[in-house]
Amino acid sequence: MKKPTTSLAIAMLAAICCAAPSLAADDESIKKDLFTVITLHGLPCGEVVGVTTRAENDHIASCKDGNRYHVFLNAEGRVIVEKL
Amino acid sequence: MSGSLIDIHAEVLVTHLAGVVGLAFVLVMFGCAGLSTPPPRAPSQSSLPQSGTEVVAPEVTRPPLPSAPPPTVAAIQSEIAAVGPASGTATPSTAASTGQTASKTAPPTAKSPAKSPASPAPPAQPPKKESITSDIAKPKAPPLDLASLEQRLKDTKAIGVLTKITLKNQVDDLLNQFRSFYQGKLKGDLADLRRSYDLLVLKVLSLLQDSDQALATAIVASREAIWGILSDPAKFATI
Repeated sequence: MKKPTTSLAIAMLAAICCAAPSLAADDESIKKDLFTVITLHGLPCGEVVGVTTRAENDHIASCKDGNRYHVFLNAEGRVIVEKL
Repeated sequence: MSGSLIDIHAEVLVTHLAGVVGLAFVLVMFGCAGLSTPPPRAPSQSSLPQSGTEVVAPEVTRPPLPSAPPPTVAAIQSEIAAVGPASGTATPSTAASTGQTASKTAPPTAKSPAKSPASPAPPAQPPKKESITSDIAKPKAPPLDLASLEQRLKDTKAIGVLTKITLKNQVDDLLNQFRSFYQGKLKGDLADLRRSYDLLVLKVLSLLQDSDQALATAIVASREAIWGILSDPAKFATI
């Protein structure tokens, strides 16, 4: 009984390791997207270095220059960038 | 006794073998899945044309890059410079900007500044000076397909989702400004709106030019046609 469990655990670990690069790519694309949005709003941000996702289309972006922004889609369908 | 021992050994061996085979299969599956994700990113960052040239090998698609850089930074800057002073009538500045963009985007026809590659040459060739001036006065834009452009902008992977929504918001804001202008509610003249329009187009182009050159070129080609709709109250009312 232990052997299948071990095999399953190894397989899951391998799956996580293999899926990590695609997740990292997604993270990079979100950072790039948020940076573009912040820049389009005319706000300073050297580079987005950290992202906390609250919900779909609702993020907290941390910039390299220390600025933090709340980027979200409001009920009217507008992308709002609020400085935190 | 020994028979049951052999049975147990065989059972353990089979379990081991099944586990190893299963693990190898999962590893191969995820390995393939991991390999399949990077390639779409690679061509998008190496600024190769995405649409229409997918069948062609990378060596074939590479040569057009240095010879045909559609909206370069220099072109964009020169267009910004050209937009500024052209405040009164839009025709001279638009003609100049179209001439510049045409010369930048169409390298084989660099000697004839205002000729677009898609438009067939009219038979009126003998009066050269008149044809040149008429070409400048009436830039031959390709047929405008706003629906296609809109769909391509929606589908492009060069721009993120939030960025697309932001750009759409800004387009809507600009359209509202035009609406207010034609209703007499907005102070200012058409040149201010032209400046806003050009800035918005430049934003879109700067986002597209590295990752979706074909779409950027299409937008540059349609730029004056779109402005023609926006700047004409009758045509604008039909939007």
